[in-house]
Amino acid sequence: MSEEGDVPRSIVIVGASLAGATAAGVLRAEGYDGSLALIGAEDEAPYERPPLSKEFLRGELDFEDALVRPASWYAEHDVDARFGTRAVQIDVHPREVVLAGGERLSFDRLLVSTGGRNRRLEVPGSGLPGVFDLRYHRDAQQIRDAATEGARVVCVGMGFIGAEVAASLRTIGCDVTVVEIFETTLYRILGPEIGRVLEGIHRDHGVTMHFSDSVERFEGDGRLERVVTDSGKEIDADVAVIGVGTEPAVEIMAGTGLDQDGGIPVGPGLQTAVPGVFAVGDVARHDHPVFGPIRVEHYDNAIKMGEHAAHAMLGSSEIFDDPHWFWSDQFDSKIEMAGYAPTWDRMVVRGSQEERSFCAFLLDDGGVIRSTVSLDWKRDVRRSFGLIKAQVAPDPKALADPDVDLRTLVPEGPEEEKA
Amino acid sequence: MAEFVTVGDSAEVPEGEAKAFDVSGAEIAVTRIEGQVYAFSDICTHRHCNLANGGEIDGFEIECECHGSVFDIRTGEVRNPPATEPLETFEAREVDGQIQVGV
Repeated sequence: MSEEGDVPRSIVIVGASLAGATAAGVLRAEGYDGSLALIGAEDEAPYERPPLSKEFLRGELDFEDALVRPASWYAEHDVDARFGTRAVQIDVHPREVVLAGGERLSFDRLLVSTGGRNRRLEVPGSGLPGVFDLRYHRDAQQIRDAATEGARVVCVGMGFIGAEVAASLRTIGCDVTVVEIFETTLYRILGPEIGRVLEGIHRDHGVTMHFSDSVERFEGDGRLERVVTDSGKEIDADVAVIGVGTEPAVEIMAGTGLDQDGGIPVGPGLQTAVPGVFAVGDVARHDHPVFGPIRVEHYDNAIKMGEHAAHAMLGSSEIFDDPHWFWSDQFDSKIEMAGYAPTWDRMVVRGSQEERSFCAFLLDDGGVIRSTVSLDWKRDVRRSFGLIKAQVAPDPKALADPDVDLRTLVPEGPEEEKA
Repeated sequence: MAEFVTVGDSAEVPEGEAKAFDVSGAEIAVTRIEGQVYAFSDICTHRHCNLANGGEIDGFEIECECHGSVFDIRTGEVRNPPATEPLETFEAREVDGQIQVGV
């Protein structure tokens, strides 16, 4: 076993996810030729999850086209790929991963990319056939099989997953009703103003929405027949899809002190408190140099953290300061968001919310731009990356003017970033 | 030897911008960097988004607006994932104020 700081000879990645597979690819591309194991509980080779609520759910994409890399890539690159294998424990002394069944894999460097799991909705009838949630390929396949044209679907929760599932199933001709606990769609992430714009898009496409309400129970004789809400509504349903948030899958770290409810804590460079042990993606609570300790569930972050951790395991000590970016497709509309703003003081808009084409800048009480969100508005979210990283307070008039290139608002100097 | 097909006027592709052309049924993007025209497949190898419409050009790189894949315009190489497969590139030239692409 190598000393810390030496070139590693054995790397284990627990979590055959987008982040884990990306790290494996970067390790091999960078010339790392030591042993490399990739452990995943799912039977499939690593795949991208965003299509599961969109193109795949609508029947427009074959699953094979969602694979991060062709299934043959792993053997071709001497990756000891253990798909359908659960890792159950990490031992720090000696440095070993314990697999279900008892096999032990030793490591110099360990990457944990186990992702998250869906929160359960613990109400009567949630185990009835016809009640689903969506995380895995098999979930999407089951929903796709059940939610055929004309099916009555209830989406429980209207965060990004719920909103995308509602849009996708409405698009293929299902009769879609939403039950959401907050007052509008995507309320917690985007706030009421932008949430209502998206609510309008769903309404115009014929989605029925019940806000400030939640599911009291699912009913049916042997399978789902109706959804009963707290306010007493009874909604006939063939299919229900629950999307009420996720939690990080940290239990592999039991005994290390790193199995925290908010995610595995990692420093600015993605290393945990245990030298040589890294965590990335949805499972990691990252001490971000701009946003502070945060855990996000973004596709792009999984890729970027996977890349970064691969370099870190090979000796790089750079910090991870990506400004975060994600998108959502709902009907013909595309939402993009960058940065991180759990709350904000002021919103400046370029474009038009009425016309459903705009870019909004979320500013803190000092006018510093914390996050950018757009709806059917090209380029500006990605062009705001430099501003978000620079933590500056641009002139609101310049932000509101569509003719001002956001990249020109980043102050010159050592903090200047390529947009 | 590539057969060159005229796709449009030189004025249709200003410096630093990209435009897609239908070349015998293939969607091909043409861009102009430092005065020189370059041609490449307009279809991102990741999820098949169109690159010219909405893609961001920065130096010799184009970034797909859908999911952020970045390609080298000259070689088609992937500079940033999620794409893992390179873009097809084509010869491009200008003759008498017209852009021609070799297919």
